[in-house]
Amino acid sequence: MVRAMAETPETPPETPDAEQPKADAAPARRGPPIEVAEEVLDERGEETAALLKRVVATYVLDSGGRGDIPWVRVAPENLVESARRCRDDGQLGMDLLHCLLAVDYVERIELDYILFSLKGDRKAILKVDLPPEEPAIETVGGLWEAANWYERETHDLFGVVFTGNPDLSPLLLYEGFEGHPGLKSFPLHDYEEW
Amino acid sequence: MTTEAQHDTVDMMLNMGPQHPATHGVFRMVLTIDGERVIDVTPHIGYLHRGSEKLCEHESYGQVVTLFDRLDYVANLNNELAFCRAAERLMDIEVPERAQYIRVALCELNRLASHLLFLGTYAIDLGAMTPIMYGFRERERIQNLFESVTGARMMHNYIRIGGVKEDVPPDFVPRARAVLKDVRKGVDEIDRLLTFNEVFLARTKGVGVIDAATAVSCGLTGPSLRASGVAYDVRKDDPYEIYPYLGFEVPVGHDGDCWDRYYVRLLECHQSIHMVTQCLDQMEPGPTMTQRRRIARPPKGEVYVHCENPRGDIGVFVVSDGTDKPYRVKVRPPSFCNLVALRPMMRGAYIADAVAILGSIDIVLGEVDR
Repeated sequence: MVRAMAETPETPPETPDAEQPKADAAPARRGPPIEVAEEVLDERGEETAALLKRVVATYVLDSGGRGDIPWVRVAPENLVESARRCRDDGQLGMDLLHCLLAVDYVERIELDYILFSLKGDRKAILKVDLPPEEPAIETVGGLWEAANWYERETHDLFGVVFTGNPDLSPLLLYEGFEGHPGLKSFPLHDYEEW
Repeated sequence: MTTEAQHDTVDMMLNMGPQHPATHGVFRMVLTIDGERVIDVTPHIGYLHRGSEKLCEHESYGQVVTLFDRLDYVANLNNELAFCRAAERLMDIEVPERAQYIRVALCELNRLASHLLFLGTYAIDLGAMTPIMYGFRERERIQNLFESVTGARMMHNYIRIGGVKEDVPPDFVPRARAVLKDVRKGVDEIDRLLTFNEVFLARTKGVGVIDAATAVSCGLTGPSLRASGVAYDVRKDDPYEIYPYLGFEVPVGHDGDCWDRYYVRLLECHQSIHMVTQCLDQMEPGPTMTQRRRIARPPKGEVYVHCENPRGDIGVFVVSDGTDKPYRVKVRPPSFCNLVALRPMMRGAYIADAVAILGSIDIVLGEVDR
């Protein structure tokens, strides 16, 4: 803890997509060069990926995956429709919203909808990129009841507004808390509560 | 019923918690009641929010394991395993077989300890004082065994990325067998005392029913989901570690009521004992830590793994930016998701059953609030 406190203010938050800093920007990172993991799908993953691409079809912006979990990226306005198709498709049948999470990449906020199919034992991730200023997206609460709490949590910690969610009141934080602690811009230690 | 319909009754709000003995921690729910019936329930959580996910971003991978200990604090080893598996998948590490056997044996023992705690506290929620004594007596044996292996009773930090901290002590196998023998007796005692007890049946049978479709939509997992008749168990359907080599059955309920949720857990205790016995039989000497030397820095990428915890399906999402600290860690805590199902379970129930229903989904607030 002590070490972390001493180091945190000095090192600026690194963004994974900005690996090549400008020539005379901050001094180069110490340590070994950053490796990038290969994204390889196994047989099961390829199968699900093919199904997923067929179902989501024209909405796919980008795709990839690792192991048995493929992912596709869709535009925010197409998310609900993509999710509905994933849920209702006979072969894919994603009946469980396993998790909904946000990752703050500073220049964008990424939402990951992790979908499971219990019968077919398939997994897939729907990804959406939102602008960091005023991130907003339509709710998927109409498709899975589980979405409500995930969305409230994501709203608390990342400030993502889910339009159509009937109740976005703080879930993990208390009423009147200012700021969104999940964001990289929120300090870990210099925050004074009282 | 007729008189109730004739009179114009006013709904009343009833606050329960956060300091209520039956909420198993700091959990508050606001019940909207009409007479004796619960019309609606609004759970309030977050009293124990420590920002674990944010803290993870500021610790190195090895240190994050200690934070996972503190999520579900009655099933610590299962949590450790979930994160270590995520990190190992990220770094492409093969874990030696003996380490996997030790991990699974300890995780199943921890599941047993967690279920014993549930059996005891659930009975006390319903007003039966005795089973908690039995439950804690047996749980204590398991905790002592853990202490001899990991050096700690609760916050073990024993499962490490790439294996386990060290090999088990030489007398582990005979000790574990003795513990299992006692625990089996203890579970049977609770079973005889509680399962078909007239009062217990009256309090739990047909209470808090949730059908399979609603349960899945709410994200219910683990024993609570299986009680509704969905036979989904990660250990069976998406096996990890050495689970494919173990023979075990997945107990499945039928009605999805409180009794089923209780009984599924009781049967799981027996399955866990069975699994640990098999692990002890099959375990062979060998290394307990991977021989790979560079395990501090995973390559840039992201990974999602899920494991079967005593409370349900824990998911861990880790994003790495290639440095020695994770860029983002997200936990999908089973208790958090199971709590969503509280509302459909509780609608239309009696106030007196509210405690029985909440107890039956077996939440741990450390995990709900993170």
